Amino acid sequence: MWFLLMLVILLTNGMSSFGLKMIAAWGLPPAIKYPYLTVWYAGGLAAIALPTFLKGLRVGSMEILWGGLAGVLSVVGQVAMAIALGSGVPGHVVFPTAIGGSIFVVALAGRLVFGERMNPPTALGVALGFSAVILLGVS
Amino acid sequence: MGLFFCLLGAISFGLMGTTLKAAERRKANAAGLVVATYSWPALIMLAWTLLFTTGGKIPGKVFVIALIFGACAAVASLAFQMSISIGKVTVGWLIMNISAGTPVVISIWMYRESLTPLKMAAFGLALFSVYLLFWGQVIEKRALVRTPREGR
Repeated sequence: MWFLLMLVILLTNGMSSFGLKMIAAWGLPPAIKYPYLTVWYAGGLAAIALPTFLKGLRVGSMEILWGGLAGVLSVVGQVAMAIALGSGVPGHVVFPTAIGGSIFVVALAGRLVFGERMNPPTALGVALGFSAVILLGVS
Repeated sequence: MGLFFCLLGAISFGLMGTTLKAAERRKANAAGLVVATYSWPALIMLAWTLLFTTGGKIPGKVFVIALIFGACAAVASLAFQMSISIGKVTVGWLIMNISAGTPVVISIWMYRESLTPLKMAAFGLALFSVYLLFWGQVIEKRALVRTPREGR
C-alpha cells in the first residue's frame, strides 16, 4: 500500500504544477495565473470533496481546524516565495532554499516531535533525495 | 529582505507538513483534512481573482487543464496524508518534493528542453534516493513482521 501511495504522489504531485508551464508555453498573459489557480484549487477541492460527501463522510471541527492551519501555511509559503522572487532574489536561490528548508523542518519535526527513527538505507535515501531536490531547484 | 521571505517560505511549508502529521496523530480523517486544506486557498484565490484581476474570461483550455492538474494535486495530498499514517512524514514529504522532477522530465520530452549535466545528476540522485527509501521501507516492514514472532 505504502509503495503504491508513493508512486501516486510521484506522478500526481509532479504533474500538478505542469499547467503553469503549459500556460507559459501557450504565450498567455501572466495575469491568467490567478484565475488559473482559483480553478486549480476548486478542481482539487471538488475531486476530493465530492467522493467524500457521497460516501457520507463528515468534515468535523478537527479537520477544519488542522486543515485550515495547513491551508493558511500553504498560502503564506506561496506568498513569501512570490515576494522573495519579486524582490530580486533569483529563482535558483529561492526554490532550493524554500524546498530544501521545508524538508529540513519536516525531518527535524519528524525526529524531535514525532520520534521517527530511520534505518541506514532510509537515512541515506533522505540525504540523497535532499541533494537531488536542491540540484533540481538550482537547475 | 528577499532572503528573509525565502526562509519564511521554507518554514511555512515545513510547518504545513508538520501540521498534517500532527493532525494524523490526532486521528483526523484524511479526506476531510484535504477538503479543509483546499477550501481555504480556494476561497483566498477566488477573492484575490475577483478583487484584483481585470480583463477577459479564462480560456476553455486553461479551465480544463486547471481542473485536471488541481485534481492531480488533491489526489497527491490525499495519498500523502494516507502514507504518513503507515510511513514516515519525512519520507512522504521528501517524495512530494522529489516529484518536482516529473514535470522537468516531461518538459524535456514535450518542449525539447535541454538535459543539462546538473539535471542528469539530480535525476540520478533522485532515482537512487527513491530506491533507497523503498528498500528502507521493506526492511522496516520485515522487522515489524519479525518482532511479534520473536516475542512469542
